[in-house]
Amino acid sequence: MVSSTKIRTQDLCFYYHRQQVLHDISLDFPAHQITAISGPSGSGKSTFLMILNRLWEEIEGCSISGNVAMELDGELQDITSRALSARILRRKVGMVFQQPNPLPMSIFKNIAFPLRLASITDKNQVRHAVENALRQVQLWDEVKERLNDDGRLLSGGQQQRLCLARALILRPEVLLLDEPTSSLDPEASAAIEELLLSLKSQCTLIMVSHYQDQIQRIADLRFEIREGRFISSRSDCDGGNARRQT
Amino acid sequence: MIRRLIEGSLILFSWAAGLLLTLAFLTLVGFLLQKGGTSLGVNLIFGDTAPLDALLLRQQVFDGLFPAIIGTLLLIAGSMLIAIPLGIAAGIYMAEYCRGRVKTFFSLLFDILAGVPSIIVGLAGLSLTIFLHRSFSAQISTSLLISCLSLALLVLPYLIRTTQTALESIDPLIRMTAPALGASRLQNIIRVLLPNSISEIGSGIILATGRCAEDTAVIMLTGAVASAGLPRSIFSQYEALPFYIYYISSQYSGPDELRRGFGAAILLILLCAGLLLTALWMQRRLKTILLYR
Repeated sequence: MVSSTKIRTQDLCFYYHRQQVLHDISLDFPAHQITAISGPSGSGKSTFLMILNRLWEEIEGCSISGNVAMELDGELQDITSRALSARILRRKVGMVFQQPNPLPMSIFKNIAFPLRLASITDKNQVRHAVENALRQVQLWDEVKERLNDDGRLLSGGQQQRLCLARALILRPEVLLLDEPTSSLDPEASAAIEELLLSLKSQCTLIMVSHYQDQIQRIADLRFEIREGRFISSRSDCDGGNARRQT
Repeated sequence: MIRRLIEGSLILFSWAAGLLLTLAFLTLVGFLLQKGGTSLGVNLIFGDTAPLDALLLRQQVFDGLFPAIIGTLLLIAGSMLIAIPLGIAAGIYMAEYCRGRVKTFFSLLFDILAGVPSIIVGLAGLSLTIFLHRSFSAQISTSLLISCLSLALLVLPYLIRTTQTALESIDPLIRMTAPALGASRLQNIIRVLLPNSISEIGSGIILATGRCAEDTAVIMLTGAVASAGLPRSIFSQYEALPFYIYYISSQYSGPDELRRGFGAAILLILLCAGLLLTALWMQRRLKTILLYR
């Protein structure tokens, strides 16, 4: 499959207070593929993900420079622009964190939460969307009898799938994953990996991962970041087209 | 060996501290009961008036504590009505919106406000009354409203601080969850951050309520009197339990009146215990309603 570019960053720098965290990152991310970002802890991988949905704006003392263009609704948009609201962007760019983070509410309400935020209140529509999202992450059969239980009572793997369902319910075009399996046992990790592969047809996935074997198994393309600088890319399929500007 | 000795004595010390506190409380209650227990009864609250008549406001109570109990309850309700919305709003502002130097400035200001002795707050209320009396109408005098305003000012720093700390101590992961799903700042505050801090904010409210119930210095300068009956409006003077206790302790005329003073103290403790239990129950209910409904 020859894929077009979904996200393009150009000379991207990131600063936390006066400290520069990312240096001149210029990368292309192909659409409908899994791109893995690897590198040692503290090298700025998670920060890079937070730029793609502008979550960094929620943290005091952060600033960026450079360009990030993303193809949304069929056209290339500058996502760092103020003209694009962060809320709208984040509905199109879902995110799953390292630790499963169900909110202290029922399973149903957790999944339906993004709909509620987007003021979608039609009960039938919500119920339908929740069921679909849960089916998509293969959690429906496990929880359909107890949708009103607290989401935090699920096992770690189930919680992470719940978070995945929650991120998917608004049908995002891009899915950001920050070490999505690092807090899970091998079996639960395998289930998540399987899911991610199945999501490629629906969205573009960008995943931070520590695990070389995981990257080999599911990623189409791999970028490495070290001390805030892009080091190398390795393509495991023909779709990868990393470039490096000097 | 020495380490184990230190560890052992530390545990012993902790136990002793707990025991001491419990004993002190029990002694206090025991003392009050011994001194004023015999005065407890319908007569202490309603005097010679029939309780039902008093409760239905058909007849004034002159020689009972009913007006003082109602006065204290009104005082608490009034000051909390002013202080809770203001305190929570200011706490949200401090935690979520205020940044940089302005934040440092406000923090300092609230800390100073928290340290102001209640008698000074009372004086401020009194000065306000005198100012209003001179510049607007000679009819304005110390009243329930002035007391409520002063008490609200007294407890405001607690409420602001507890709200602020509760919001600021929320796990960053939970804090980021809703924004990552497309929530605006306000949506995050209303749907996630506040419901998650209800317990802490509730504790702040409980502390503040207790403070309003027991404070004497503020109310004796701003409108509490020894005998006023039920307050006719928020602009009239009123009776209150702590002031009654203070008044009796300083000028009781005989053992019988002293006993009634101790009775009032027991009533005040019971009132506070009742409020505390209600607040705890509401705190739990509110969390369920806000998050799970």
